[in-house]
Amino acid sequence: MRTRNSDKEKLVEQKTIEMLVEEGFQGFSMNRLAKACDISVATLYIYYKDKDDMIKKIGASVGKTFMSETLKGFSPEMSFADGLRKQWENRARYAIKYPKEVACYEIIRHSQHGEYILNESLKEFKQTMMDFVQNAVKTKTLIPLAVETYWSVAFGPLYTLIQFHKEGKAMGGKPFKLSKKTMEEPLKLVIKALTPSKN
Amino acid sequence: MITSIEDILIFKTNIRTDEDRRRIQLTMDMLDGIEKWNVDLQDIDCVLRIESNKFSSAEIISIINYCGFECAELE
Repeated sequence: MRTRNSDKEKLVEQKTIEMLVEEGFQGFSMNRLAKACDISVATLYIYYKDKDDMIKKIGASVGKTFMSETLKGFSPEMSFADGLRKQWENRARYAIKYPKEVACYEIIRHSQHGEYILNESLKEFKQTMMDFVQNAVKTKTLIPLAVETYWSVAFGPLYTLIQFHKEGKAMGGKPFKLSKKTMEEPLKLVIKALTPSKN
Repeated sequence: MITSIEDILIFKTNIRTDEDRRRIQLTMDMLDGIEKWNVDLQDIDCVLRIESNKFSSAEIISIINYCGFECAELE
């Protein structure tokens, strides 16, 4: 008798993420995943229709966690400086708390249908971010910019710092740990760069 | 509609290619009582997954055999 339970479902999801991160999408197989979860292949097919269905469901789940973590305490009506600060805090917390999910997101994004799947699951998130930017431009707290210019300046430095944090060191091997304190200076510079000058 | 777990039938087959799949498609689509079906062509066991509350595993095996393919319940 095959039974479905949410603990098992969670285990399958966790193992799928781990296996995708460790072996990539090409090296992944339902057989090996079943072995890693200590369940039968047949049970696995209860959760996922096929490999594509699996990536779709995992992508949606990773996207959902990312969205709920990143939008905590954030609203698109916030002033540009407050909103960006919240985004930095949330994104840093997410990246540190869920390193496997971040790596899995990258793998899914580079797979055949990945971009489409993630775009679909992050539709609402992208709309919220777009509303935030548009509101900020309207209230003249943000310079109007091409989206890629905006994104790379607004979040590029943050992801560089997250990378330093993961490696435990910055330039020249200097120890580095991401915190509100170490984020403060680069964040202030980013806000300054993106805010229209008063004169 | 959420399919009950008892209604999901899983088989190991030798339906390996798109052409093979087309050979069973007409039969599968025609059968009244099969809610959904798919074959994972990327999988080593070419897993056939069926959602149906009308057919038993034995019946599905006969149907797939009749179409000219091997089919066995995957445990």
